[in-house]
Amino acid sequence: MVTRRTILRGLLGGSVVTVGLPALELFLNANGTAWADGTLLPARFGLFFWGNGNTPDKWVPELSGEGDAWQLSEQLSGLASIKQHLAVATGLEAKVPNAIPHGSGAAGILSAAPALVEGDGDTFAQPSIDQVIAAQLGGETRFRSLEFGVKSGGGRSFNGPHSQNPSEDSPFAMFERVFGAGFAAPGEEPIFDPTIGLRRSVLDAVMDDTNRLKSRVGTTDKTRLEQHLDGIRDLERRLARLEEDPPDLAACVRPDSPPAKFEDIEGRPQMSAISRAHCDIVAMALACDQTRIFSHWFHHPVGNVLFPGAPDGHHNLTHDEPGDQPWVDAITRMCLDEYRYLVETLAGVAEGDGTLLDSCAVLGTTEISLGRTHSLDNMPILVAGSACGRLKTDVHYHSPTAESSTKVLLSIIRAMGMNRAEHGTDDARVTDGLSAIEV
Amino acid sequence: MRMLLPLLSALLLMPACEREVPEIDPPAPTLRRLTTAQYSNAVHDLFGEEVVVPRQLEPDVNLEGFFSIGAAVTSISPRGVEQYEEAAFAIAEQITAPGAFDFDCEPAGSADRACAQEILEGFARRAWSRPVTADEGDVLAGLATDAAEVLGDFHEGLQYGIAAILQSPKFLYRDELGEPADGGHRFTAFEVATRLSFLFWNTIPDDELLAAAESGALLTDEGVAEQADRLLADPRSRAGLRAFLSELFDLHRLDSLSKDPTVFVHMSDEVGPSAKEETLLGFEHLVFVEDDDFRNILTTQRTFLNRKLAAIYNVPAPTRDGFGETVLPTTDMRRGLLGQVSVLALQSHPINNSPTLRGKFIRNVLLCHTIPPPPADVDTSIPEPSGEAPTLRDRVQEHLQDPTCAGCHQITDPIGLAMEHFDALGRYREQDNGHAIDPSGDLDGEEFAGFEELATVLHDHEDVPDCFSRQVFRYATGHRRAVGENDALKVLAEDFEAGNYSVQQLMLDLSWNPVFRKTAAVDDSPAEER
Repeated sequence: MVTRRTILRGLLGGSVVTVGLPALELFLNANGTAWADGTLLPARFGLFFWGNGNTPDKWVPELSGEGDAWQLSEQLSGLASIKQHLAVATGLEAKVPNAIPHGSGAAGILSAAPALVEGDGDTFAQPSIDQVIAAQLGGETRFRSLEFGVKSGGGRSFNGPHSQNPSEDSPFAMFERVFGAGFAAPGEEPIFDPTIGLRRSVLDAVMDDTNRLKSRVGTTDKTRLEQHLDGIRDLERRLARLEEDPPDLAACVRPDSPPAKFEDIEGRPQMSAISRAHCDIVAMALACDQTRIFSHWFHHPVGNVLFPGAPDGHHNLTHDEPGDQPWVDAITRMCLDEYRYLVETLAGVAEGDGTLLDSCAVLGTTEISLGRTHSLDNMPILVAGSACGRLKTDVHYHSPTAESSTKVLLSIIRAMGMNRAEHGTDDARVTDGLSAIEV
Repeated sequence: MRMLLPLLSALLLMPACEREVPEIDPPAPTLRRLTTAQYSNAVHDLFGEEVVVPRQLEPDVNLEGFFSIGAAVTSISPRGVEQYEEAAFAIAEQITAPGAFDFDCEPAGSADRACAQEILEGFARRAWSRPVTADEGDVLAGLATDAAEVLGDFHEGLQYGIAAILQSPKFLYRDELGEPADGGHRFTAFEVATRLSFLFWNTIPDDELLAAAESGALLTDEGVAEQADRLLADPRSRAGLRAFLSELFDLHRLDSLSKDPTVFVHMSDEVGPSAKEETLLGFEHLVFVEDDDFRNILTTQRTFLNRKLAAIYNVPAPTRDGFGETVLPTTDMRRGLLGQVSVLALQSHPINNSPTLRGKFIRNVLLCHTIPPPPADVDTSIPEPSGEAPTLRDRVQEHLQDPTCAGCHQITDPIGLAMEHFDALGRYREQDNGHAIDPSGDLDGEEFAGFEELATVLHDHEDVPDCFSRQVFRYATGHRRAVGENDALKVLAEDFEAGNYSVQQLMLDLSWNPVFRKTAAVDDSPAEER
């Protein structure tokens, strides 16, 4: 029988391209609890990030404990339907110098390191948590990681200083990227496409050019070009994956294409509808094993989004709304509603004996606690999903000693199967995870 | 020391070679990624205006006020690599469509390698802004020919060569790395060519400029001056000015301006882009039509409005369609750049005014004064309107009594409060919250009664032109700040003054200035040793 691959080799004279073999580990065992070779299902990491903090007084649940021992707080009450999947950590502090309002907190909570302050701007000195995990686990899938959002402002997914993975704010573009041309769902024969090999030849030439340029530039530029080269290698790998047979994953179906545009309603973006369209896509991106790591940048630090009904932009309200700030509370709850939708969507996809969520840790957080003062103590931290049974769920832990928020990151990193003795730099460095949320 | 040349005429009479060149100690060169605007302009220059350039590209990063500074620091992400690939093929497909482009040769068959090479070397020379080596041409031709053989079509094969040109770092970055010369380092002739064309046109060099580089003319003062004059006289220099102003004033943010339309009945998707165009047209007129003192942009009552903006300004529309020139009535307090919707609306919240944002814009962008970021961990709220403090000014005053805040807010708020007669969309308003507005104040001791006088105070402020020439320098070089280049910047500012603050002259002076032509050696010391 003449296979697709021999046709391709024949066409290209057998020399131009090499074609990857199907990844055997993509096949699940009979009951879907492990890959065909017996290894456990991979853990997956998700981040849901919103901007401008919370209202600590209304956020922190009264009691610590597990199961019935704790109840959701007023601000978290919208999460009732996912309480059984949720770990809430309160009283933790992002232990970085609060040099730049919002910027320091974002770097602290996401990269466990002080922000790199430059003039009136800032960037991350260390990779964000999603990329720490992607650096080790991202190579298995077509996409190392996916970044998307609604009013993301580019997001805060960093590989290192000034090396950002920009967030895609259009669900339609996101859909096209993952499930557009070239993607084959289970049962579909991948479309034989001779141009894939040709595109890879072009990338090889681009890579040669980049290496030659790299030999002429200074140290900083060498690092920049190395990051560029990483991207080229990534794209080559994605093209190779397209040539493989589609994954035999029961839960994987091609999702419906979202609308090309979501029009503002009364000058207000459709935050919820856009967010949900993204979540529907990313759930299938996980189920189809196109990626195992994603970050959802609902809106960005200092984001002044006009939420439905709100009398001013969100950031402005956190500073100027008087009293106990009912609008700030309402907007925080709107953000949490979308976190809930994401978690529910993942929990709604059956995989093996359980659901997609069972293999996930979905961190929900923001760059500060109280917006009015840019406070970095008592940081809002939610983790949904047990990462294949490695993290506790239905638990609230309140730190009595303002422990470092990095502990949660280290717990998650370890739950992803990564063997790490420590995480973070300077005062944000820790060597222990948060045992209260670890199994 | 540089000779003192108080008069522009004296300057112009003197051959460039006799001007004493200030000493500089420039920083090491770095790669500069093309901004999305530069990518798009370059593609249009290469393949024609009708080519649709995909908009989904690695996003620009604003660092310290400029995309051009961000482009000198940021790297290309995996997503960006993907987008550049997609864009390259989308462009290649368009130009290889039957009849879309007049290629340099007619192929003798689907795998006519020589013809492919001729076409691709022509494109590559322009795209990479320098001669193409035999090896480079060979690689491109090989890609195109291999693809043509597989696909059975010459032009389809050509797409792969074109896509390689457009994805190459030789196109995506400006690799102006310099060469040793006279015991120091300078930019090569081809690098001077790209520096000139990006400064004046915000795009890659044309054939004439590349020829001037090839002949070595761009290594001489006369050669640079001749080309700079030509580039400036070309209508494309307007695009260059627009690109600079768009970055300087953050005008791209107007494309997604967010204002509450239930509060502002004039608000629509058209407002932001219209406001951007008003600012650009006004500057273009001042610089290219009048070649006027640039400072007059702050006080002029001439502006360019479409019907939408005329409605916001409450004046008759000068034209039914598009933009028309108009002079606001003298009774109207609106003056110059700071009275335009672009500045007023961008430096506001979605509903409320912000004297802090407006004041900060004047300080940072127009005066180059540095304001530290607000301290974190302090309560930044201002009190609600009350009987005793009904207006924003009253509320901010209360806020300013707190010594933690006052240090910086005294720098920004008093000048921002002079603009309180304009709401967060830029409409004139008589009152704030039912009470009279007090727009008086002072700028570092220089008192003003209201907005018109603030405009005049700024017009006469010595930091304004110095700052403008510094901003042009930062934009053109991608350097965050001058380190070993201060003497040259001082000369640039003096030249600007001597040229009666002509922006055209400023651009010519910059192209002559050593900051534009000299560099240091590439710094390949390990990062920790610096």
